[in-house]
Amino acid sequence: MVLEKEILKEFQGIVGSENVNDGEVITNTYSYNWCMEYVNYMEGKEPIPFSPIPKAVLLPSSTEEVQEVVKLCNKYRIQFKAQSTGLGPWNQPSTENSIILDLRRMDKIIKIDNKNLYAVVEPYVSGAQLQVEAMKYDLTVHMPGAGPQVSPLASATSMNGPGFTSPHTGHSARNVLGVEWILPDGEVLRLGSAGLKNNSDWYNGDGPGPSLRGIMRGWAGAKSGIGVFTKVAIKLFPYPCNTEFKLQGYSPNYNFDIPDFMRLYVMDCGSYKYLKKAMLRIEEEEISFMCSHLSGYGLTAIFSYSIESMMDKMAIASLKTPLVVLIAARTKHEFNYKQKVMEMLLDELKLHNIIGTKYTPNSIFYAEALRSNLGLHGFIVTGGFQSAKGQCDTVKTCLRTTKKSIPLKKKYIKKGVIGNDFGEGVWMTSYESGHYFHVESITLFDQTDEESVKGMGEFMEDNYQFDLVKHLGAPFFVEGDRMHNMFGPYMMNYHKWLRKIKKAFDPNEIADSGFYISAKSEN
Amino acid sequence: MRVDELEYQKMIQRCLRCSICKWIPQVQIKSQKYATACPSIDIYNYHPYSGGGRIILALLLETGRIEPSEELREIVYKCTECGSCAVSCKFLNTLEPLEIIMKLREKLVELGCGPMPKQQEYIEAANKVNNPYNEPHEKRLAWLPKDIQLDPDAKVLYFVGCTSSYRRQEMAIAAAHILKAAGIPFNILQDEEFCCGSPILRTGDVKTFKKFLNKNLDVIESKGIDTVIFSCAGCYDTFKVDYPLYREYNFRVLHTVEFFDELLETGKLKLIKEIPITVTYHDPCHLGRNAERYDDWDGDIVDLMPLVSINIPPKPKRTGSNGIYEPPRNILKKIPGLKFVEMERIKEYAYCCGAGAGVKSAFPEFALQTAKIRIEEAEDTGADTLVSACPFCSTNLQDGIKESGANLKYYDISELLLMSLGLEPEKLKEITEEAG
Repeated sequence: MVLEKEILKEFQGIVGSENVNDGEVITNTYSYNWCMEYVNYMEGKEPIPFSPIPKAVLLPSSTEEVQEVVKLCNKYRIQFKAQSTGLGPWNQPSTENSIILDLRRMDKIIKIDNKNLYAVVEPYVSGAQLQVEAMKYDLTVHMPGAGPQVSPLASATSMNGPGFTSPHTGHSARNVLGVEWILPDGEVLRLGSAGLKNNSDWYNGDGPGPSLRGIMRGWAGAKSGIGVFTKVAIKLFPYPCNTEFKLQGYSPNYNFDIPDFMRLYVMDCGSYKYLKKAMLRIEEEEISFMCSHLSGYGLTAIFSYSIESMMDKMAIASLKTPLVVLIAARTKHEFNYKQKVMEMLLDELKLHNIIGTKYTPNSIFYAEALRSNLGLHGFIVTGGFQSAKGQCDTVKTCLRTTKKSIPLKKKYIKKGVIGNDFGEGVWMTSYESGHYFHVESITLFDQTDEESVKGMGEFMEDNYQFDLVKHLGAPFFVEGDRMHNMFGPYMMNYHKWLRKIKKAFDPNEIADSGFYISAKSEN
Repeated sequence: MRVDELEYQKMIQRCLRCSICKWIPQVQIKSQKYATACPSIDIYNYHPYSGGGRIILALLLETGRIEPSEELREIVYKCTECGSCAVSCKFLNTLEPLEIIMKLREKLVELGCGPMPKQQEYIEAANKVNNPYNEPHEKRLAWLPKDIQLDPDAKVLYFVGCTSSYRRQEMAIAAAHILKAAGIPFNILQDEEFCCGSPILRTGDVKTFKKFLNKNLDVIESKGIDTVIFSCAGCYDTFKVDYPLYREYNFRVLHTVEFFDELLETGKLKLIKEIPITVTYHDPCHLGRNAERYDDWDGDIVDLMPLVSINIPPKPKRTGSNGIYEPPRNILKKIPGLKFVEMERIKEYAYCCGAGAGVKSAFPEFALQTAKIRIEEAEDTGADTLVSACPFCSTNLQDGIKESGANLKYYDISELLLMSLGLEPEKLKEITEEAG
């Protein structure tokens, strides 16, 4: 749907003519995204990787510009969809009456407070960018499994954000402090201490000052369905070891000078029951930087750079129930302590570390672990994957989910529409030293094969039903009216409350709710 | 082997829209300021200006969702084809963003939608007078100093290239003097040297490119040459990487930095004069990540299981790791009194100067803006001198220095080498100014 010329002019007046584009080429490009094909199929549409085409793409550069654009959207009843680095279908408009706000010109690190361990950033600062600047203060930042190239602001305000370093750095949803939030009507709201009238600052998300953190993001974030976040304060964490970061060689075969005080453990727990015991016990000691369970395939992938190079790692692929623990320390004393604890735990749990005996990873593995780049290895097998599940729960529930879902996954593997991981392809991590856990079912599919795309969509749909019937919790991709209507009645009718929030904050339904919830279809 | 049509059709459906292509390899990021990889998306901001965005453009065109248009042409050609997106993408993925961009341009040319008018002008000039600058062919050798003797029987050929012949003559003069100083008999094709075809190929006009390829190879092969050396990174890359895709040849190709590094190693060149400057080096894309040959692969694609296949043996992947990175650095480090410092973005993930793939002629402002970004990065090292090894980079970076008012001097690496050999570099500048 074309934007009327007069409205276009008004948008140009706000952000500058070069920062608004309603041309066929630009707008069509913004209709593409990864996984859109199976999402379309699940919604009963053609399984193509395109969403509705936005009416225009805008590149605002400031809070004020975003605010003015949103107000204009209200005036003309045009919907908006904001995106940062733009990975995933959640960034896509759901109607032909939407514009895209691409926030890439808002790319400043406003502040790194190394004493109070937080940073304030704009939407288009990437995780890697913030991390390298934080490293100058011996600090690091949490980055989600999607990788260091994505936006910490988007992850913290609008998504979920588990990552490989979650034992040490929590997850994005938990790390958000204050936000600067352009509400769907164009008002600016600053949460937490940033919202104080006098002496405002970003140190606390819940007060003094207004705290609407639960409303602002809830469990999985609103994906721009409740406004635009223009600044966020997020927690920083001590960098786990020496920040000196030396690489030699050329991409992708870099050699990394592994910091003195780092050690990797890969162990076979033999069964999910024993994995539970081991993860809980290890995390109880609060020593790990990473503590993840991956299936044999997943484990092989994080050490590989191509599918061919996975083939020579059979020693690790054959592990039945692998557990990966990485410890890192800043001093020899701390390292000795952590190593001694691990030795004690291995002895107590009767586990054996295969690293250094059966397998020695390339040094670049350690660099990627420190830079949160391991999640991207999931793409090397078929080029496409997505996660079913996405529970944040106790270790027991996460493993129950894993175990119970295997037959369902095998059914689709047998059909040949998803990759064969023996049904066991999951990634599970501890959060905050075992405080709680996260599991997702990594599922491989081929986005260039229509049967595979359809199969993936059907698998996802079956998974959701299965989670409901078996009481396995809510996956993190419960998005849009249909899904909320499906899960809400089984979960204390949360969807009714979510609708009330949407209605209160967005009376004109201006924030595109395709991946959130609309105020309308109440049930 | 370049990406064939079948691979192209598959690959354009596979972009993850992850934005990895917009950044240098994640593990190489050292600061927020110099984290980005692609001049095009850095300057134009909309996603289609990135490597991944152009993959989506290819898909949109193939699926008929967009038609060839001026809007499309401008976006596709506002790219220096520097290949930085491909290095970052291929750290883990199997996509070929640069290959897709090149093929997309070929398709636009076939559809009558490319190249840009200014590029078409230089292609026509090359057709007429064998160089894209529309300079008289007979003046190609006007730069040759009188004291340089060519040897018609020499086994070494110096392929000067159009830019060094007509615009950056100081590079040609320096190269010739260095060869003389090392006592290397060499020849130049003189009026039988034609445009290498690089600026034509980069626009997607493969048909015209092949004409120049054949003209040059016919001449060189008729002369029994063993080694062809180039001071132009663009000519070097084109001969080394692109020519063999269309026609095999039997001579060795070397860039002058490789050749001169060898001469220093073997003692044929002796550096005697101290050059007390602080230098940083810009890796030209054509000498660095793109100067990596395509390896033949004649293996099998074996289906391991549904949806999963592997290449046996593994298919070689051009990752930018086999570029010419050490020879120029070796030379600089051997120059007495010279202090060498690195920029943040170097070697396979170096930031482009902004001139390549027809951008300098079609979009001079874009070229200049990119050069200024690179100049700032060079200045941030504390260096007083910026050095490179490509006449295109030389022109654009010097334009960038002028435009930004930076307090940097620029030299081609051969000029510094010449100075350190005790010869008179100032002469070179004078000659260039007169010629210019």
